[in-house]
Amino acid sequence: MTDFAALLRLLTREGVEFILVGGAAATAHGSVRLTRDLDIVYRRTPENLARLVACLAPHQPYLRGAPPGLPFHFDRDTLQRGLNFTLVTDLGALDLLGEITGGGGFEELLPHSIQVTLYGVECWCLGLKHLIDVKRAAGRPRDLEAVAELEALLEEGKRDTH
Amino acid sequence: MKSKDCEASDARSSIDDVIEVYKRDIDRTLLRESLKLSVEQRFEALRELQAFAEELQRAPRTKSP
Repeated sequence: MTDFAALLRLLTREGVEFILVGGAAATAHGSVRLTRDLDIVYRRTPENLARLVACLAPHQPYLRGAPPGLPFHFDRDTLQRGLNFTLVTDLGALDLLGEITGGGGFEELLPHSIQVTLYGVECWCLGLKHLIDVKRAAGRPRDLEAVAELEALLEEGKRDTH
Repeated sequence: MKSKDCEASDARSSIDDVIEVYKRDIDRTLLRESLKLSVEQRFEALRELQAFAEELQRAPRTKSP
C-alpha cells in the first residue's frame, strides 16, 4: 500500500519541486476512485534532480513490474537521461513524470496548479480544470471514466457556489 | 470529403459522448460527501479504500455451491 503521507512529507522536506497529478490530484479534488500510486511531475533542473535522488535513493526505488536484479541505479544520470519513471519504493508506488501528455512539464503546469495543505505540508496540485484537460488528452478508456467523475465534481462545485 | 479540422471536431464530440455515458453512472451522493471533507480527509478515505482493496485481494476464494 502506498504511504502517501510519508512520500509527500519526504519530498517536501527535501525541497523537491513537484506537482501532484493523476489519481492523487483527483483525490485532492474530491474523487472517490481508488488510486494506488502517487503521480508527480517534477522540475527537471539539476538541483531538483539532486534533491529527488537524495530523498528517494534510501527508499530503494526500482522499476515497477520489472524483474528483480536489473542494473537500475536511481541516480542523477539516470534521471537526467530519462524522463518518466514508474517506480516502486519501500513507501509504495511512485511515478516520477518529467512531462505529461497534453500538459507538458513542471513549468507549463505550475500556472494551472493550486497549493494544497496535506499531512502538514504544502504542495502544488494540478487544478481541476487542467487535470480534466490532461486526462482527456491521455485518452485511455480508464482516463475517460476518470474525466467523467472529474467533470461531475466540477459541476457539483459550481452547484455549491450558486 | 471532410476537412481535417472537421474530423478532429467529430473525434472530440465522440469522446464527449463517451464521457457523458460514463457520467450517467456516477453516484453524485458520494461526490457530495467527499466535497464536504478536507483534502487530508479525502486522502484518509483513499487510504482506507486501498486497505480494503488489498484485504479483498488477500481474501480466500471459495467455490459457490
